[in-house]
Amino acid sequence: MNNFSRVKKKVNSVLRHVFLLLLVVIWLVPILWLFVTSFSGYKGINTSHFFPETWTLDNYAQLFFRSDSIVQYNRWFMNTLVIAIFTCIISTILVLMVSFTMSKLRFPGRKQLMSFSIILNMFPGVLSMIAVYFTLKTFGLTNSHVGMIIVYSAGAGLGFLICKGFMDTISVSLSEAARLEGASEAKIFWKIIIPLSKPIIVYTVINAFLMPWGDFVFAKLMLNSGVATDWTVAIGLFNMLGKSMINKYFSVFCAGGVIISIPISILFVIMQKFYVEGITGGSVKG
Amino acid sequence: MKKKVLATLLATAMVAGSLAGCGSSSDTTATEDTAATEETTEEAAPAEEAEASTEESADAADPVANLIAATTDTVTLTVWASEEDQDLTTQLLEEFKAAYPDVTFDITLGAESESTAKDTILTDVEAAADVYAFADDQINELVQAGALQEVAATYTYDVATENAAGSVEAASVDGKLYAYPMTADNGYFMFYDSSVFTEDDVQSLEKMIEVAEAAGKKIAMDISNGWYLYAFFQGAGYGLSLNDDGVTNTCTWNAAGATDVAQAIIDLTASGVLVDMSDEDMATQIAEGTVVACVNGTWRAETAETAWGENYAATKLPTFNAGGTDYQMSSYSGYKLIGVNPHSANIGWAMLLAEYLTNEASQTVRFEARGLGPANTAAAASEAVQANPAISALAAQAAYATPQRVGGNFWSPAETLGQILASGNPDGTDLQTLLDTTVEGITAPVE
Repeated sequence: MNNFSRVKKKVNSVLRHVFLLLLVVIWLVPILWLFVTSFSGYKGINTSHFFPETWTLDNYAQLFFRSDSIVQYNRWFMNTLVIAIFTCIISTILVLMVSFTMSKLRFPGRKQLMSFSIILNMFPGVLSMIAVYFTLKTFGLTNSHVGMIIVYSAGAGLGFLICKGFMDTISVSLSEAARLEGASEAKIFWKIIIPLSKPIIVYTVINAFLMPWGDFVFAKLMLNSGVATDWTVAIGLFNMLGKSMINKYFSVFCAGGVIISIPISILFVIMQKFYVEGITGGSVKG
Repeated sequence: MKKKVLATLLATAMVAGSLAGCGSSSDTTATEDTAATEETTEEAAPAEEAEASTEESADAADPVANLIAATTDTVTLTVWASEEDQDLTTQLLEEFKAAYPDVTFDITLGAESESTAKDTILTDVEAAADVYAFADDQINELVQAGALQEVAATYTYDVATENAAGSVEAASVDGKLYAYPMTADNGYFMFYDSSVFTEDDVQSLEKMIEVAEAAGKKIAMDISNGWYLYAFFQGAGYGLSLNDDGVTNTCTWNAAGATDVAQAIIDLTASGVLVDMSDEDMATQIAEGTVVACVNGTWRAETAETAWGENYAATKLPTFNAGGTDYQMSSYSGYKLIGVNPHSANIGWAMLLAEYLTNEASQTVRFEARGLGPANTAAAASEAVQANPAISALAAQAAYATPQRVGGNFWSPAETLGQILASGNPDGTDLQTLLDTTVEGITAPVE
């Protein structure tokens, strides 16, 4: 009996791992293909080989050191980085402040306001795209990075739900104690809640950075002058896939795709340790 | 259980919401478009008046001199050219500025592919470039949206007479000229490796397949693309045309005898020598040497020339046999045009610049730099142009080619038909039924 159950356990475990392995293969193959193609000596798409026939670093060199009218990667990278950093700062602050208000303060209409903003946030932003575009056009903010930062960060406050949920777990007695000591709400926010919310700040920062970093739809709509120096990386890379260019720039496109993932990885590695550190459980005694 | 039902309901509501959202947003675009058209007619009127006044005084003085005299401020213009055309256009813009030293220009050059120009422009006509390049099949919709200024008068050369008749026709809507022809090579023909095929072989598709089979090589054609599939049906005399409303199609691909054409395509691809292949795959396989002949356009000339070297050759499309008769394959002829946006603040200069970018000298330079076939008759008659295999193949095919005038509902049913035929009709559907379904899709009304 004992022997039988052990065999059963083993078979189960093997099956489970085979299944997981299959998932890993399905999930990683496209990324691996992108990665190896970025080192391909042949510039176009080669569908008859998975691994390139000749290997080279030239695609990366072309991205950074040989800018032409089609590949202006340094410029695009800077544009995207500037937009993403500003959006990240503004929306993180907005999200944290709204979450604090909703979680720790009590005021009339709080529940209704919360439900209203959650419903509002459920509508995909793409719906309002055309309206946003024409609104910004009247202010002359299309084709401008300022306009894009406004679009990306304006609605950020509505995404407070997860952050608010986290702040709800911070004991009320902490803020009450501080209030008894004479701290203002601002002081409670900055000195007590923020230091205790590190993990969720990390989450918010990464989220707020990722959104503009990888966005294509809004960027394509807003930056419509066709002037390549204004573009973000997403539009620039997309442009390389045009019918007449794909056979000359596909491997360069792959290289660009690999590079774009680096800042995100760095951000994640830096932020990751806070995930572990930020445990609030022991902060309330007795 | 209740929760699940609720969740499903919510999910459905969200999907429905997003779908409805799509609908409403395209509605918005449509309204915007009509609004833009109205505005255009209003705005275009004074522009035409200005044009007319220029014309009146043209008897007395040179219109260009008048234009210069009337210009006091900096002339700000935006130009859109395709990515491949950037270097050349930059050079031409510099020459244009140098040609009018008395005027201060601020010209911005943007990148926009000719094939997608319409989509970008119609999103917001006012924000589009003052001067832009586009493919001739987009002209109807651009004119309808008020995105093209009519070429009512010219400054430096007569657009209508100096360009090939076909290109002028392609640049006109209802007999009015709306754009400046730039190139006349947006069509397709046959590339082949002359070490495999002789000039006699390439006269007939059946013969080509025989020769290629003997050599163990392939012939490529993008059959599952309506643009190329058209060659068979039009060649055998089954028509496809755009109705007067400018959006729906008339199609006789299901007329009596058309099943022979469908059967011919099945038979031709059955050997596995004539292969249905996308443009990207063709590029790879030509380079690798598996494909020795292909139906494609001038944009593939470089790939073929590199791969085949001095054996690189091109000619008109071959004949094919359907139901015992040989038919010459037809093709689409396409042109690239330059248009002027009526919303431009400097419409006179925009038109002058469009003329400059398409005059004989510019078309010659464009051929020399990029191998694009000129629409200008004088430039096309030059020896260098005549000696180019791809351009002369296009010229030979021109007799069997028709301009591309087709509504948007054509592409998807044609693609399906091409796929089914190229894969040998795997479900064994009755060919007449298949063609009937296709034609029904192609001629469907546009909502």
